[in-house]
Amino acid sequence: MFQIFRRLWALNWAEQWQYRANLLMYLLFWLVAPIVYLAVWTTVARTQGSVNGLTASDFAAYYMVLLVVDVLTSQITIHVLAPEIQNGNLSNRLLLPVHPVLTQVLVNNIAFKALNLIALAPIWLALYLLFRPALNLSVLYLALAVPALVLAFGILFLLGAALTLVAFWTTRVWALWNFYSAVFMLFAGHFVPLALLPPLLQTIAKALPFSYTLYFPIQLILGKLAPQEVAINFGMQIVWLALACVIFRVTWRAGVRQFSAVGA
Amino acid sequence: MNALRIIGAFLRLNVQVALAYRSEAVVQILLNLMWLAWELTSLAIIFANTNELGGWGPAELIALLGVWRLVNTMMSIIVWPNTEKFNQGLRDGSLDYTFLQPANSQFLVSITRVELWRLWDFVIAVVLIVVGLGMSGRVATPVNIATFLALTVSGAAVLYSLWIVMIAVTFWFTRFDNNVTILAALMDAGRFPAQVYPFWLRLLITFIIPVAVATTVPLQGLRGELAWWEIAGFLALGVAAVLLSSRLWKAGVRRYSGASS
Repeated sequence: MFQIFRRLWALNWAEQWQYRANLLMYLLFWLVAPIVYLAVWTTVARTQGSVNGLTASDFAAYYMVLLVVDVLTSQITIHVLAPEIQNGNLSNRLLLPVHPVLTQVLVNNIAFKALNLIALAPIWLALYLLFRPALNLSVLYLALAVPALVLAFGILFLLGAALTLVAFWTTRVWALWNFYSAVFMLFAGHFVPLALLPPLLQTIAKALPFSYTLYFPIQLILGKLAPQEVAINFGMQIVWLALACVIFRVTWRAGVRQFSAVGA
Repeated sequence: MNALRIIGAFLRLNVQVALAYRSEAVVQILLNLMWLAWELTSLAIIFANTNELGGWGPAELIALLGVWRLVNTMMSIIVWPNTEKFNQGLRDGSLDYTFLQPANSQFLVSITRVELWRLWDFVIAVVLIVVGLGMSGRVATPVNIATFLALTVSGAAVLYSLWIVMIAVTFWFTRFDNNVTILAALMDAGRFPAQVYPFWLRLLITFIIPVAVATTVPLQGLRGELAWWEIAGFLALGVAAVLLSSRLWKAGVRRYSGASS
């Protein structure tokens, strides 16, 4: 199994490296929204001193950490897998004795992430110097963040894969993805730190998985959580990982049975 | 007269395309309404925490959202679909046929594909502008409204010209997959007034990828914040952009030599 992953890594790394120009463009696209929101909230914080206890440099710290957490936990499964389902290339992969999503697609995601992180590093440094966030990192919280980030990526990867599998039934999977992204941006803490949402929306955010995959790791790294809250959030991450596992398995089984490749 | 006949022919063609994919149009309209709800929610969240954003109140930001959507609609009705068509034509050589037509080639590449059902977005955009203005309690004078319309047209012309420049540059550097990405990416920054952004970003979206010229500036005109020489300057910028871009386009076309040669 290790051998398989090593080969897949070499393959996918080379493939992602080949498309590095596309990757830079993707990065550019993705960077604009957080920078815009950062600018909006720092403006608000500056005019009135602070918002809900958050100063301009707190917002800067939040979004600077968000950039890294988002790269580490996000996934591009729909871009990789949906075309394969729609053009029938998945047939070849189904013949292999390994699970196509949990090997090829997973490794592809990780290779993309690794390259993304390298490209982000200089940009992140430039933004750090421009925004001067109040970042006080501690080794303990960074160490705790490692399992939180792995769990978060696990949840988002499985949910993203399950959503992509809807392509087995309908060609409208991209519309669904659009909707998913909108919900994610609002309830994960992408648009605004969740503490600033109205109470009703905060309740909804707690019932969805997304706050545990983005907001929780960010707050953890920033050292804003009490030990008890950290424990509860880790617990919720594990619950959602289990749920995501079930959702993914059910859709995969039903989807493959449904699948009849184009032209077959 | 000839131009009108060509537009008529393309419109008929695109109506047929739109009718063939009716359910797709319905899905897209629903998605668009969802994003509208998202954008209004985000404004509500911002103004639950503050009274003003960079000197602008909630009503004015709704109007700005309308102007931004107006520009975005123009981009998604003609600019993005035609980019796709242009890049494809450059790749497989079908652009040859465009240049063989006895009509202005810049005009042809700009109107071949039109996503007609998005006209509905125009309605939403106009409603947002009118509602935003009404809520602000500001009575716009006829002069302000005329200024707003003129600045919107010239701002749109600036963005259209930038697009022409970006695709024309492809004639020299044949890396075409990403020729307009930076424009598409920065469109998002137009949703908020340029005054909100840090200096370097404001510089970028005012002078280099001038999204703000088509969003913040027209609304400032409507609010009567611009001096006459500023208005004249922005209008002159629009005219200059159109003239320069069409010259660059012609120079680019002279370099074009087909996909296989």
